[in-house]
Amino acid sequence: MYDAVFTERLQRPAVALVNAGFALDARSAASGKGMPGVRVVSETVPCECTEPSRIVAGVRAAMDDLVTALTAPLTAEEGSPPPREADGVSGIVFAGDLGEVQQFFYRRGWTDGLPIVPPTEAAVEEMLTGTDLPRDHVVGKMIPRLGKVTVEKIAVNAVMAGALPTYMPLLIAGVDALLDPKAAFGTFEVSTGSWAPFWIVNGPIREQLHVNSGQGALSPGDIANAAIGRAMGLIVKNLGGARKGLEDMGVQGNPGKYTMVVGENEEAIPGWEPLHVQHGFPRSDSCLTVSFPNSYLQIWPYGSDDKGILRAVMANMVPRWRQLTLLLPPGHAQTLADAGWTKRELASYLYEYARVPAYRTPEFWGTPGMQRIRPPLNAEDAAPLLRGPDSLRVVVSGGAGAFMGMAYGSSTWVTKPVTLPAGWERLVRKYRGLVPTHLRY
Amino acid sequence: MGGNYEVMSPWAEVDPVPLEGINPRLADLNGMRVGLFQNGKVAAGPIMDAVEAELHARFDGIRTPRFGRTANLEVAETTDRARYEQWVREVDAVIHAVGD
Repeated sequence: MYDAVFTERLQRPAVALVNAGFALDARSAASGKGMPGVRVVSETVPCECTEPSRIVAGVRAAMDDLVTALTAPLTAEEGSPPPREADGVSGIVFAGDLGEVQQFFYRRGWTDGLPIVPPTEAAVEEMLTGTDLPRDHVVGKMIPRLGKVTVEKIAVNAVMAGALPTYMPLLIAGVDALLDPKAAFGTFEVSTGSWAPFWIVNGPIREQLHVNSGQGALSPGDIANAAIGRAMGLIVKNLGGARKGLEDMGVQGNPGKYTMVVGENEEAIPGWEPLHVQHGFPRSDSCLTVSFPNSYLQIWPYGSDDKGILRAVMANMVPRWRQLTLLLPPGHAQTLADAGWTKRELASYLYEYARVPAYRTPEFWGTPGMQRIRPPLNAEDAAPLLRGPDSLRVVVSGGAGAFMGMAYGSSTWVTKPVTLPAGWERLVRKYRGLVPTHLRY
Repeated sequence: MGGNYEVMSPWAEVDPVPLEGINPRLADLNGMRVGLFQNGKVAAGPIMDAVEAELHARFDGIRTPRFGRTANLEVAETTDRARYEQWVREVDAVIHAVGD
């Protein structure tokens, strides 16, 4: 849609021919670029369709509208759009009891569907103790709406998510990571592929915040794992303006968009480099890494030795996205380390030997989205399941038991260091006692 | 639901974007050069084939030059920009295939 806006700016009338399901998304995109009147014509060709008869039928049905969009005189509003009305973005926006606040936020589309913690001034003030940055500091502008991601707005969304002030450094680093062009956030946040940000926490901050890297780390129950991912999701929605079905066009959606946060158990295998060290940071740094998987698979090994573990991984790799975060529980990691494997050797080995016959790959069949990849010549040619040896990361996490996790994506990993405020240790002491004490039965 | 809460907005401020109008339309498509822009999605090419056939069936002397994006990014942000600007100068209007 941005291309159509660009065309109009080059002084030529443009019309966007858009699948009907994307019409709202197209209008948001044009409006976000300051040109709300760009004409959009809906068509009903099935998405990614390759069948000529259905394409022709869908186009024919839209042709009259398309011709009209190219020739009908402009309305006054199209030629000179009226200024936007202010949409109540600053200060206090509502006052009411708890139930009324929940309904107000839900009706505005500002939640993830779950109840939120009311972001009162007092709660936001407390959240801001987690950073030395001034509240009006702009960390960046987040697409698609180009909303200003101020420290205060991060804090408001953090309160809503149930975060603690000690999470603020991670949330600010998370915004930094999303805004890094290498993350390709603009594509993944709104894509039909329903990619979910997968956050991996490394360094001393894991222990300080009780980020779970052990048993069931990706399951509910830990305030850090739950609230950090949830806050980032609200930030994407409320500051970036990526809302489901309007701008975020994920077809199936992804439960990982509620939260998908894990710590790496760096201490389990002392000889292995933690993820952030692999990415060039000192082991003593606290860092946050994001990638965008859209699928998560859990498997158990085909044998308890290194060969059995690797055979299971290779047999379950999916011939499509070719980027993989492999979550190894400490037991398997130890088995592999004892057999002499390093993380990098595992990645190289799996790139080299994890292959399938070409007929199992999408590029062999000319599957939509894969046309640019040169297809193999023969159906039985061995095709790699990874893009390259750098397309796999091994992360040690999880608890007792044999299951491994495989998070598939098509992105890369972006790691950002966490900047801690003055008085960090005091702040950590204030909140670190907040841990569940479960009754035994 | 007792207690009263005064709550802050989580919605981002944006820098004011001056709103722009769109360009006047063409009076007639007969004899016009209507550019067809493909975004690289799989169906964009075949859709534009169908659009092209329909336009030629309906309008005399219409020309339909094509432009294909080579990266999954807006064309203004890529090395295709200069080539695209030149292409746009040589057409009277553009139809964009957008989305999936």
